[in-house]
Amino acid sequence: MLTVANISVRRGAAVTLRDLSLSLAPGRTLAVVGESGAGKSTLIGAILGLVRCSAGQVDWNAAPVSKCRPALVMQEPRAAFNPRLSLRRSVMEPVLAQKLAMDSDRLERLCRGLELQPDLLDRRPDQVSIGQAQRIGILRALIAAPPLVLFDEPLSALDAVTQKHTARLIADMQRQEGFAALIVTHDLGYAAAYADEIAVLRAGKIEEYAATQAFVDAPQSEYGRKLRGAAFALGALERVA
Amino acid sequence: MIGLVAGLFLRAFVVLTGTALATFALLWHAPGDPALSIAQARYGTIVSDEVLDFIRAEAGFEDGFWTAFWAWLAPLVQGDFGQSSVNGRDVWPNLVTAMSYTFPLAIFSLGIGLAISVPLALIATRKPGSWMDRGAVALASVGVAIPAFWLGLLLILLFAVQLGWLPAMGAETTAHSVLPALTLGFGVAASMTRIIRSGILEARGQPFLPAFYRRGVASRDIARDHVAPHAAVPVITVLGLELAFLLEGLVVVEVIFARPGLGSFLVHAIFARDFPKVQAVVILTAVIFVVVNLVIDLVYRSLDPRLDVRDA
Amino acid sequence: MRSVGILAVVLVLIAVFGPVLAPYDPTAINIPNRLRPPGGEWILGTDALGRDILSRLLHGARWSLGLAFLVSLLGLLIGTAIGLIAAQGGVLADWIAMRVTDTFLAFPELIAAVVIAGVLGASTGSLIFALTVTGWMRYACVARGIGLSVGTRGYVVQARLAGLAPLAIARWHYLPSLLPSLTVVWTGMFARAILGISTLGFLGFGVQPPMPEWGTMLLDARIHMRSTPLQMIWPGIAVVAAVLAVNLAGDALRDALAEQDARE
Repeated sequence: MLTVANISVRRGAAVTLRDLSLSLAPGRTLAVVGESGAGKSTLIGAILGLVRCSAGQVDWNAAPVSKCRPALVMQEPRAAFNPRLSLRRSVMEPVLAQKLAMDSDRLERLCRGLELQPDLLDRRPDQVSIGQAQRIGILRALIAAPPLVLFDEPLSALDAVTQKHTARLIADMQRQEGFAALIVTHDLGYAAAYADEIAVLRAGKIEEYAATQAFVDAPQSEYGRKLRGAAFALGALERVA
Repeated sequence: MIGLVAGLFLRAFVVLTGTALATFALLWHAPGDPALSIAQARYGTIVSDEVLDFIRAEAGFEDGFWTAFWAWLAPLVQGDFGQSSVNGRDVWPNLVTAMSYTFPLAIFSLGIGLAISVPLALIATRKPGSWMDRGAVALASVGVAIPAFWLGLLLILLFAVQLGWLPAMGAETTAHSVLPALTLGFGVAASMTRIIRSGILEARGQPFLPAFYRRGVASRDIARDHVAPHAAVPVITVLGLELAFLLEGLVVVEVIFARPGLGSFLVHAIFARDFPKVQAVVILTAVIFVVVNLVIDLVYRSLDPRLDVRDA
Repeated sequence: MRSVGILAVVLVLIAVFGPVLAPYDPTAINIPNRLRPPGGEWILGTDALGRDILSRLLHGARWSLGLAFLVSLLGLLIGTAIGLIAAQGGVLADWIAMRVTDTFLAFPELIAAVVIAGVLGASTGSLIFALTVTGWMRYACVARGIGLSVGTRGYVVQARLAGLAPLAIARWHYLPSLLPSLTVVWTGMFARAILGISTLGFLGFGVQPPMPEWGTMLLDARIHMRSTPLQMIWPGIAVVAAVLAVNLAGDALRDALAEQDARE
């Protein structure tokens, strides 16, 4: 269980996150939605311990989050891989780092689940497509079976067809693996389609935090209504509402 | 701006304290009994234990490193460089005399270096890639590879021994300064030529210059207003390194030409194991170096306000 | 580029095989044949003790170039380690490492080396120590500068999240990005070390007689400048050729890397 309790983050004089609380149970998906500059990336940094909080606490089962070795899927798929190393080497890095037993069955199973040809892993990052790189990024995130996986705009570098495909695969993998997923996205349509709960972030504060269906049916905050209206106008919410 | 200057001064302070500590630690851990070498320098080879004990007490050797360090540092901060451990006289007057030989030579050499490198770089960049340009670069490349002490010896061989035009040893007349200054000046010129050359080439490559030419702005005005200031920035950046090169060269040159400046002072003090003198030269050099670099830093920042304090 | 390569190869060969090529024992004293001019039995002549200058030059390559190689390599190791600690170790480690580097940079390196080698007593050991202690700072600055930018890359964040040990992160993710620039710095420092060793040798703080180091040879030759001026020429040419070759190789390497960067 991920517990984010009243955290604030300052950058110099500016406050980038203020008094923010969230919680997320295993197997569940929480989407944090907001426009750019709302503090989404800072939130991810704070949860992973990459950014220091000036107040508040982040825990996984009452222990520091880093203890549970959370994984991160990045916005820029290729940036997650050292360009000089083979993808296989990068994918296996968590296994090596945590001195886990090398389980080739698991690797094969995950590859199948993510619809990846295993021989793709012998290439280098610039020798695969962006979509493949992102699926390999997910593979890398899942290889050591983390209980918590953070997704930082996982679809925004992909084209529309690949976005749909990848979103479905993420959901499939979560059903199979049972991790808690925190997805940061600016795309309310994606959030509404796959998340159990939605938190709307704006200027470092949570404007609204509700179950997905409740939010889509009747947002409580004015900003939430605006966001929902915009998404409807684009036709992104029709499947859900 | 005030914060920036304060930061630079704080760094200068940290650096000087570090230098003082490192120097003292080095001399403290020097092999051999320092009291014995002092005694031998003063009284000859056979020394009694009482004399050794007296010297140890006098220099504060018995009370441990930090006490001795403080006993040296406290007067130093007030400008007291202590006394020679060999002859017991104050170090400072000797230092002043030595500086009076070193500084004019340094400035003379720097002048020669600039007088050679600036015209050479201007000629070279008139037509980049021409034989003149390549010749200047080749000359500079060979120049930086020549050790100062060898160049000095060659100049002595040619102008003093073979031709007999100039005196080689000592510092009595201005003529005595010519060969040492040429030795250092050539070295300075060699390293400056390359820097000035690439500075000018880079300044000429600024993307907005072709538009000025097309609009008919006089090329002399462009050179003065847009090329020269831009080319000056990399030159100022390396002035600190150039100063280090100059100081290093001075040590060698003063030894070769038997000039009684700071460099010979240092080398003789090391051979005589006269540590108060060694310390004094080291601290003085560090102060000069830090102060000049501080000034360079401030000038540089005023030329290029984009620079952040933390990038220093 | 090719001529630079050939020159560098020739220097390496001389440093490695010089002693085999030398016609005489470089330390064998032969007073009846002292201060012979070049030509005949002694190709470059003999010195004040009748030792063959060519043999001394060839043996000296091992001292002058070998020690410079060692010193510049030690500096590379120490400097890279300090730079990486500064880049990887957080704000406090960075501040401390950089103030230490500043302090060492705040003094002309060669003068510091003279003081250290002189105070510790002239020996090969103190020479190596003096030049290493004063020769690591540029590596540290370069390693830190590149390291700080590498540290923000996605794959380094991933490696840290995965729990990879700092040393392994340095080995796999930092070093490959650092190596090209560090190699260029290394050529510069190698050239400086050659100059430093000969200068210290000339001042009497370096390699001790009767070992045939080039700077020490010049110190000997200086006394007989009037009678046998040529004796003073050869070791100097050797130093200049070595420094020039290393510097040119460094320039060529830097240009090649810049070209590669431009292509990427």
